[in-house]
Amino acid sequence: MSKKYRQWVKDYQDQAWTVARYILKDAQEAEDATQEAFVKLWNNRDSIDPERVKAWLMKVTRNGCLDRLRRRRYNVEFDESYMTGDVSGPMQGLAASETREWLKRAIGGLKEPYRSLVVLRDVNQHSYEEVAGMLELNLAQVKTYLHRARKQLREQLAEVRP
Amino acid sequence: MNEYDEKREDLINALMDGELSATDAELLKVEASDDRELARAIIEAYQLQLEMDAIRVERAPDSLRKRLRAIPREHRPAPVFSLLQPRWAMALAAIPLVVIVVSLMQPDTPSASEVARARQEMAIAFAYLDKAGAITGREIESSVGHTMADAVTDSVNRVIKSQNLNSKEKEA
Repeated sequence: MSKKYRQWVKDYQDQAWTVARYILKDAQEAEDATQEAFVKLWNNRDSIDPERVKAWLMKVTRNGCLDRLRRRRYNVEFDESYMTGDVSGPMQGLAASETREWLKRAIGGLKEPYRSLVVLRDVNQHSYEEVAGMLELNLAQVKTYLHRARKQLREQLAEVRP
Repeated sequence: MNEYDEKREDLINALMDGELSATDAELLKVEASDDRELARAIIEAYQLQLEMDAIRVERAPDSLRKRLRAIPREHRPAPVFSLLQPRWAMALAAIPLVVIVVSLMQPDTPSASEVARARQEMAIAFAYLDKAGAITGREIESSVGHTMADAVTDSVNRVIKSQNLNSKEKEA
């Protein structure tokens, strides 16, 4: 069983980390949240359908991150600019890497579930069906929300691009 | 977004995801040639997709990879019996202690020579008591009379005899 767990870690650690990183925007907290999700995976390894481990893990990681966000809002004064990221202002002449960083911040600034949808579908490249399972939404909802999220990003990008 | 916008977004996203049939893609292209807003939306969608393609899954840091690998070791269920477990180690360490305490609580068994010496000392003590009883009787007799002396010496002798009897019974 430990061998199977090691394979799961190898296959999904980067994807879970990416989800946590985008939602929490804090490396240390994202590490903690990812570890918590894998501890749950280890503790429930016998009861999880091996075919659904990826969806299960992404859902648990995301839920753990959202719980942390809720606690963070209770514990510290909510900083709107931190949550949304600074994505305003002209960015003409930015290098490709800078545009990429800007886009990452813009994704991080989306509200839920738009942010998770973009990360899971467009960054992690999960299928629409997998994303629907991870977020407990139906396929039509996933598409509608994702299209709204992409439109928002598209419009923001158009504002900052020459 | 209104219904028209939703439908248009569905088409644009289907085009981006490669889910639009060739016929529908051609129809959208024709529509975009007459609709500058739609044309701009499609171009922006392509630009976003190009930027998105550059964003990849991030590699988990080495510190996290190490933590994830350690989970099976750190969350191993405790075996039912293991001499390495603190409670069993403590129980093992307690055994010699219990043996020592129990042995200390046992009454000492005297040796044969000690019993013989005790008997001898008791006989001497009783001989002294006999003499003391006789002397006391004589002194009482001389001072308060024969009747009272008898009463005292008799009671002393009875006590001595009964003690003698008890000690003999114990020896037997």
